Amino acid sequence: MAKEEHRIVKGQVTVPYELALGRTWSAFYDFLKDERIMGKKCGKCSRVLVPPRSFCPRCYVDMDEWVEVSQEGVLETWVYVNMPFFAQEIRIPFISAQIRLDGSDSGFIHQVAGIDLNDFDRVRETVKLGGRVRAVWNPEKRGNILDIAYFEPVD
Amino acid sequence: MGNAVAIIGTGQTRHGRRTDLCYPDLVREAVTAALDDAGITLEDIDGVVLGTMPSMMEGVSSTHFYFAEAMGSLGKPVLKVETCGSTGQSIGHCGFFWVASGMADIVLVVGSEKMSEGDGQATMTTVFDPFFQRTFAAGAPGVFTMQSMEWMYRFGIPEEKGREAAALISVSNHDNAMDNPHAHIRMRVTMDDVKNARVITYPVRLLDVCPASDGACAVVFASRKAARKIGRKPAWIRGLGFRGEEFFYGESDKAVWMSATEAAGEAYRQAGIRDPLKELDVAEIYNPFTYQEMIFYECFGFCPRGEAPDYVLKGTFRKGGELPCDPSGGTLCTNPIGATGLIRLAEAALQVTGKAGERQVEGAKLALSHAMGGVDQFNGVTIVGSTL
Amino acid sequence: MQRVAITHVAQSSGAESRESLMDFTYRVNREVLDKAGLQREDVGCIIAGSADIFHSGLSCANAFDWDGIGAFLKEGSRAEESAFSFIYGCMRILSGRYDTVLVTALVKGSENPDNDPITSFYGDPFYLRPTGINESVVAAMQMRQYMERYSVTEEQCAQVAVKNLGNALFNPCADRKRRVSIEDVMSSERIYDPLKALECAPKSDGVVAVLLASEKRAKKLTKKPVWLAGYGCSMDHFHPGDRDLLKGRLPEAAKRAYGMAGIAYPRKELDVAEVCEPYAFQELLWCEQLGFCGEGKGGKWIDSGASRMDGVLPVNPSGGVLATNPYPARGLYRIAEAALQIKGEAGEHQVGKTVRKALAHSTHGFGGQCQSVVILSA
Repeated sequence: MAKEEHRIVKGQVTVPYELALGRTWSAFYDFLKDERIMGKKCGKCSRVLVPPRSFCPRCYVDMDEWVEVSQEGVLETWVYVNMPFFAQEIRIPFISAQIRLDGSDSGFIHQVAGIDLNDFDRVRETVKLGGRVRAVWNPEKRGNILDIAYFEPVD
Repeated sequence: MGNAVAIIGTGQTRHGRRTDLCYPDLVREAVTAALDDAGITLEDIDGVVLGTMPSMMEGVSSTHFYFAEAMGSLGKPVLKVETCGSTGQSIGHCGFFWVASGMADIVLVVGSEKMSEGDGQATMTTVFDPFFQRTFAAGAPGVFTMQSMEWMYRFGIPEEKGREAAALISVSNHDNAMDNPHAHIRMRVTMDDVKNARVITYPVRLLDVCPASDGACAVVFASRKAARKIGRKPAWIRGLGFRGEEFFYGESDKAVWMSATEAAGEAYRQAGIRDPLKELDVAEIYNPFTYQEMIFYECFGFCPRGEAPDYVLKGTFRKGGELPCDPSGGTLCTNPIGATGLIRLAEAALQVTGKAGERQVEGAKLALSHAMGGVDQFNGVTIVGSTL
Repeated sequence: MQRVAITHVAQSSGAESRESLMDFTYRVNREVLDKAGLQREDVGCIIAGSADIFHSGLSCANAFDWDGIGAFLKEGSRAEESAFSFIYGCMRILSGRYDTVLVTALVKGSENPDNDPITSFYGDPFYLRPTGINESVVAAMQMRQYMERYSVTEEQCAQVAVKNLGNALFNPCADRKRRVSIEDVMSSERIYDPLKALECAPKSDGVVAVLLASEKRAKKLTKKPVWLAGYGCSMDHFHPGDRDLLKGRLPEAAKRAYGMAGIAYPRKELDVAEVCEPYAFQELLWCEQLGFCGEGKGGKWIDSGASRMDGVLPVNPSGGVLATNPYPARGLYRIAEAALQIKGEAGEHQVGKTVRKALAHSTHGFGGQCQSVVILSA
C-alpha cells in the first residue's frame, strides 16, 4: 500500500422489542387517561412512589395501596437540553426536570414547558429550583408518559 | 478477613482516538503491557475477567468471545462482569474475589472501550427505562447537570463559586494529564477557557466534560504466595465497597448520594480508615464532570457537605495539596468507559508502588480509586496500600 | 478451606409472563428469601446474571435489575452469563467475607427478537457477521460434522428431543410442553438443515434465584445443603474456523471440575446431569466430552437408554434447554435443577435413584465456545 490508511466500516443496527408494562404500570397509564396521577404507598416505610411500583425497592415487600398524588409539585432540579442526541423523542431545546409532586416521596422525571424555551436568559428567570410547577394534560391520550404534556411553572 | 490479594502489574494503552487498530488489538496492547509489568506470561494466568460497556456501545455482543485471544483467555476460565460505568471497579473487585476465594493464584482483569466506534450518549439513553424516563433523557450530561444543580441548591452554593471551583478542577486535571503519557486530552487550559467554553447543558461547559476515548487497561491480581514468588512490588488491596441505589432517577437523594457515601464507607471500614483526608495520600476519582467531582469529595468524607468548592479553591485536591486527586488527569481527560474504573485502580496501584512516573505523588502509601455507573446509580471504591 | 452450599432455590416457569421484568424478578427473588426465612437485609451480597440490551432492550442490565433483585444499597455485582454469576457468588463466600450470597438470573425472552439474530452479534462486523453466522448456523455445521465423522444418525440426534421434551411434561416450570415422537422431530421443519425445528431450543422467559451460604450458615439455614464440589470453565477461539468444532473446550472444563471434586469415573460417580443442549445433538456431543461415554459413542449412548429418567445416568430430567431456554439464565437453571435433585425436591421429575452427586453444565457462544461445568454434592 502506498500510504497507511485507517479504514472504517460503518453500520447501523435496529433491534425490535416488545416490553411488558405489567399490571401496576398499565394501571398507572390507565389512570393518566382520566387525568389522575397515582402512586403506590409502601405499607412498611409509608413512602409514596411515583411512578408506582408493585414492590418497595427498599423494604422489598409488595406495595398494594394506590394513592392519588397532587398534580402540582416542587421543582427539585432541572436541565436545559440544547444538544441533539440520537433517538431523542422531544425536539430541542427542552427542559428535563425532577419534580416532587405533593403527596409523594420520590422525584418524578418529566419536562417543564409552556414558556418560551428559546431565550435561555428568560428561562432562567422563570424556572427556579424550589419553584412550583403544575401538570398540563395532553388532550389526546395515548397511554404513555406524554399524556401529561408537560409541567408549567406556577406563578 | 480472607486471603490477602495484591496487584502485581498494570498495563494501559495510549488512550485517545485509536482508529489505527481494531478493537481486539487495542485490548491486546493493554494485556501485553500488564504482563510485561508483572514479569509474567500468559501461562501464569489462572483466569481472566473482562468488562466493557453493553453491546449497544460495542456493536458486538458478549465481547469476551471477540477478545478471547486478545485478552489471553484461550483454554482458561473467564468471567464477564459488567455494571455500566462502574464496570472498571466491578471487574477489579471480581479479580480480588477470585484470588481471595482460593480458586486462583493469578487473575488477569481487563477493561476496554472503543468510544469512537459507537454512540455513547445513545447507549446512555437506553440505560433509562423505556416506560417512564427515557423520553426525557439527555445522555450523561443531562443527568449529571440535574444532580449538580440540586446539590448546589441544597447547600446554598452560589452559582459563581460553583463555577469557579469547577473551572479550577478542569484546569488542574488538564495540567495533570500533561504528566500522563497515556492520557487522551493533553493540553493546558486556563480558567477563562473553561468559563467561556461552549455550553453543553447549562451551567456545564465543554471543558467541564470528559472526552469519549478509545482505550484499554489490564491489571494482574495475585495471591500473597504468588506475589512473593514473582517478586514485584505489590499494591495490596486494603478495602473495597460497591453500592447501588434504586433504578428510577429521582427516587433517592443524589445531592448526598448514598451509594457513593456507603461504598466508600465500606472500603474505609475494611481498610481501617477513619479520617480519609488525612490518611489517604492520593485519590483517583471517577470524574467525568467537574461539578460532580465535588459531590464525590463530600460523599467520600474528604470535606463536610456543601464545602467542597471551598476546599477546591484552597487547593486541597491539587498536586501538592493535602490530598491530590486524579494526578493522572482523571476521567475528565480520558474516558474509555469500560476501562475507566480499572484505570483509576491501576493508577492508584502505580502511586503506592512508586511507579507513577511524572505524575507520582511523593511517598504515596495509601490510595483510593473509584468509579460510578448507571444513571447516577452505582458507585464502587477500592483502596490499595503499599503495605497490607 | 471454606465450603459453599446452595441452601434454597426458586424458579419461575419458562412460559411467557405478562409481568414487567422488574416485577417478574422481584416475585422469584422474594420467594427464595421467604423459603429461607430471610429478609433482603440478611443477605450479604447479591450477584445477578443477565445479558444486556439485545436480551432486554435496556443497556447496562444491572441498572434495571437492581430493584427487583433486592439490592438497594447492598454489595452486589452482575455477570453476563448466569453460570458466571453462580461461580462469582461462590467466590464471594469462599473468600470468607460473606455468609450469604443471593445469585439470580433473569430474562424475558418473549420480549426480544429470536436468538438467531441476537447471537449473530457474537460475530464481528467485518468478517463473521456478514457471512450470516449465528448460533444455529454454527450448530448445524457442527451437527453435520458430528454425524459424518462418527456415523451418528439423524434419528439418534432426534431421540434427544423426544427424551427431553418427554421429561419436560413432568416439570411445571418447563416452557415447551408437548409429547413428541421421533417422527414428529424428524418431520419438523428443517430450519438449518440438518437441524430441525424441534431439535432447536425455544426462547423462554425465566427468573431463577439460588441462595448460597457458608458452611456454618448453611447448616443453620437448611437440613439439606447442597455443596459446591467442583468447577471448571474454558474459553475457545473466537473464529469457528480456528477450531475443530468436535474438539472443543468442554473436556478441559470437565477435567478441572472433576479434579476439584475428586471424580475419576464420571459415569459411575455422578447420579444425574443437567446439560445445556440448545440443539438436540449437542447433548450427545457434550455427554461424550463430559466422559459419560466414549468419543463418537453418543449415538449408542442415547440408544442404550442410559440417559433416560430411569437410566444409569439420567441427563436433563428437567427437560433441559430444549424445553426451556431463558438464554442468559439457562446456566443457573441447570444448577438449580441439579441442586433440587440432590435435595430430593424436584417433584414429578425427581429421578428414581438417590442423588448424591450431580453435574450442571452451561455453554454459550458458537458451538460451545465457552464451557462451564459445576459439580454439586449432598
